[in-house]
Amino acid sequence: MSPISGLNDVVAFVSERFPVDKLNFHSMIEKKEVPIHKMTWGYYTGGLALLFLFVQVVTGLFLLFYYQPTVSDANLSVEYITKYVSCGALIRNMHAWSSSLMIFFTVVHLLTTFAMKAFDRPREITWVAGVCLLLITYGFGFTGYLLPWNQIAVNATKVGLQSVELIGTYLPGAIADLPRILKETFQGEASVGQATLGRFYAMHVVLLPLALFAVLGIHLLQVQLHGMSQGIDRAAQKSEKFFPLFILRDLSVWGVAFLILFVLALCLPFDSFVSFPLLEPYNALGATPPGIKPEWYFYFIYYPLELLPFWLILLLSNLLVAGLFLTPWIFRDTSRTTLGFLALLGTLYLIIMTIFGHNIYEIFKGGG
Amino acid sequence: MIDSLLLIALPYVAIVVCIVGSVWRIRTQAFGLSALSSQFLESRKLLWGSLPWHIGIGLILAGHLIALFCPELWRSLLANPTILLVIESAGIGLACLSVVGLMVLFWRRLTSARIQAVTSVMDLVVLTLLLGQIVIGMIVALQYHWGAVWATTTATPYVWSLATLQPDVSFVADLPPLMKAHIVGAWLLILLIPFSRLIHIFTVPLEYLFRPPQKVVWTNPRHHEATAFLSDDEARRDFIKGMAALFVGGALLSVGALDKVFRFFFGPRLSPKEEAEIMGTRVKRLEATANEKKLELERQTSDYIFVAKLSELQAKEGKYFIDFAMCPALAFLDGNNLPNLISAKCTHLGCTVLNQVDSQGRILCPCHLSYFDIATGVPNAGAPAKEPLPHLPWAVMDESGKMVAHKSANGKIIGTAPAGNAESYSVFLAKHLAEESKA
Repeated sequence: MSPISGLNDVVAFVSERFPVDKLNFHSMIEKKEVPIHKMTWGYYTGGLALLFLFVQVVTGLFLLFYYQPTVSDANLSVEYITKYVSCGALIRNMHAWSSSLMIFFTVVHLLTTFAMKAFDRPREITWVAGVCLLLITYGFGFTGYLLPWNQIAVNATKVGLQSVELIGTYLPGAIADLPRILKETFQGEASVGQATLGRFYAMHVVLLPLALFAVLGIHLLQVQLHGMSQGIDRAAQKSEKFFPLFILRDLSVWGVAFLILFVLALCLPFDSFVSFPLLEPYNALGATPPGIKPEWYFYFIYYPLELLPFWLILLLSNLLVAGLFLTPWIFRDTSRTTLGFLALLGTLYLIIMTIFGHNIYEIFKGGG
Repeated sequence: MIDSLLLIALPYVAIVVCIVGSVWRIRTQAFGLSALSSQFLESRKLLWGSLPWHIGIGLILAGHLIALFCPELWRSLLANPTILLVIESAGIGLACLSVVGLMVLFWRRLTSARIQAVTSVMDLVVLTLLLGQIVIGMIVALQYHWGAVWATTTATPYVWSLATLQPDVSFVADLPPLMKAHIVGAWLLILLIPFSRLIHIFTVPLEYLFRPPQKVVWTNPRHHEATAFLSDDEARRDFIKGMAALFVGGALLSVGALDKVFRFFFGPRLSPKEEAEIMGTRVKRLEATANEKKLELERQTSDYIFVAKLSELQAKEGKYFIDFAMCPALAFLDGNNLPNLISAKCTHLGCTVLNQVDSQGRILCPCHLSYFDIATGVPNAGAPAKEPLPHLPWAVMDESGKMVAHKSANGKIIGTAPAGNAESYSVFLAKHLAEESKA
């Protein structure tokens, strides 16, 4: 292959993914159609993730006005928000609930688009950007968890960061120290402290949002450029206009989702799922309290980590991430029926690990 | 005398007439048992009159009936001041709603030529009575507060005394004249039921709530043709109405939301007590942080770190302290009456190990359940932690600062357990020993 034809291939690839002639209101909005079939509900999941992202941005900005990212004041400022600021508890609770819902719908979106083969040519970039968005979303979850600076937050972060260092023991000589250097870069000092809080805060409110919006821009542009994927193996008979019909439906789904979020946030404090001693301000000199756990959306990897050898989980999770990025090429010729089956298996695994992870852990490690 | 006439004789007459008259009417004019709907003749004002009126009066009557039939339940509910306030305000609101509806109906009946044609004197009498009854009820509610409560001990037993044929006006005799008028009004309305449109109360049209909406329309095709040109206009009008409703709803919502948003950013205005409480906590947290920094500074600048008096150490329960790396560590007393200093940072994922020694001489990391032997530092077989907890070098000094025993670089203990008064010996973590042992 000559360098020239290689270059031509690259140009052809890019121009197929970014068809400039479609870059106008008419093809991106007016002409766009949404197929109607039994999986049409899948087209709403990405929009829901987007709604909860908006909620996160707005409530996050609200919290920014009172939150103080220092080890002495962080916990107190969070308490001040929930106890004294008008509607502060509601705003904070919405931020917490909405973060979980955002991650939930991002994962559901991933599974449905996988099952619907929405990554098929020419939508590879949409998929890859989507996987980046998923990782960024998890990054938000991890960095945001530390900010209230209570026992569970700091201790869970410690464990999470220490796991990074543990990777070093499986790497050969020269790069074995790399994970530790990486960990200390994130941590900022020898143990989790003020430097860590500052760094996580900066990532949570500036770096990750910037990255998210950049990638989200590409993702949404691709979605509008290429239109909705057909979603089922045999092309759907019926379709409806994206604008205004689908948009209106999407908005009404948003309305219902927001109402549910609002009621949840109003009635059920997110903190109520954690026992109180874990919510006390972090005490650097005391023992680690029992019951330290990550957020529920990390259970799918947390419980296997507790049960299986670290190297195995490391290998599997690396394979999973690589597999996610390469999905459009790995599953290029797979039928949607097969993809649907795989997605179902993945869903089952996630549901079982998230809901029954603790029971499984008890069965194998109980009384140990 | 007048009380007996209006509050005993009238009720019995009203009830008897109502029952006999209604039965008579049902038997003789089965098709006349209706409100004689005039929706057909005029529908727009009817919507704005009939709907609020029926919603308002229906709920108010329901409230009256609960107070009448379940006074105990009603009173226990109203014992909660919030519920009482809500019920009273809801009552006034609903009364306003029904008055507005009734006035629209009244106005319609007086001004629409079509309706005039089918209006009887009885209609006007009923309307006037209803309007008067509600206005009086509202005045009573506003003038003599918490009627929802006091009515259960006055009006309710009065009605029950009538129902049990032991009429007793003493329950209501001392009530203000307006309240008595309200009661008399009620009996008059009951009296008129068989002779007016009020008879439709007995048809209890519950299925109206569940059936698909219906509208009475002209079936004459000529009428349809004649008004066809209106449908475009109607669509446009409906669209504008919809937009207006959205706009007004949105405006109301934004006023509410903006108010909350403003209050959020305006911030709380705390009482001096709350202010002091927060400030106190804040100072405490700052001090804790400062103390931590002091510890860190001390570890950077001094060679010996005081851990504890030798007499304070125990074999079964470790004392936490902070080592030179600012990590938690534990101090125990070993078998030879000498200190045993061991890191408390789990070698697995860095949790702080607990300080209670179990029967096998081990301490537990609560995060992933590794047991470490405090004598050797080695974790139990199969534990997630693989590396042993490192022991830390120490020095024991007497009061004059003379070192009587220490654990040297190679882990060998030099010196023996100090004899005599353990109170006077102190245990130190020693930096140069620590560095030696590292090297």
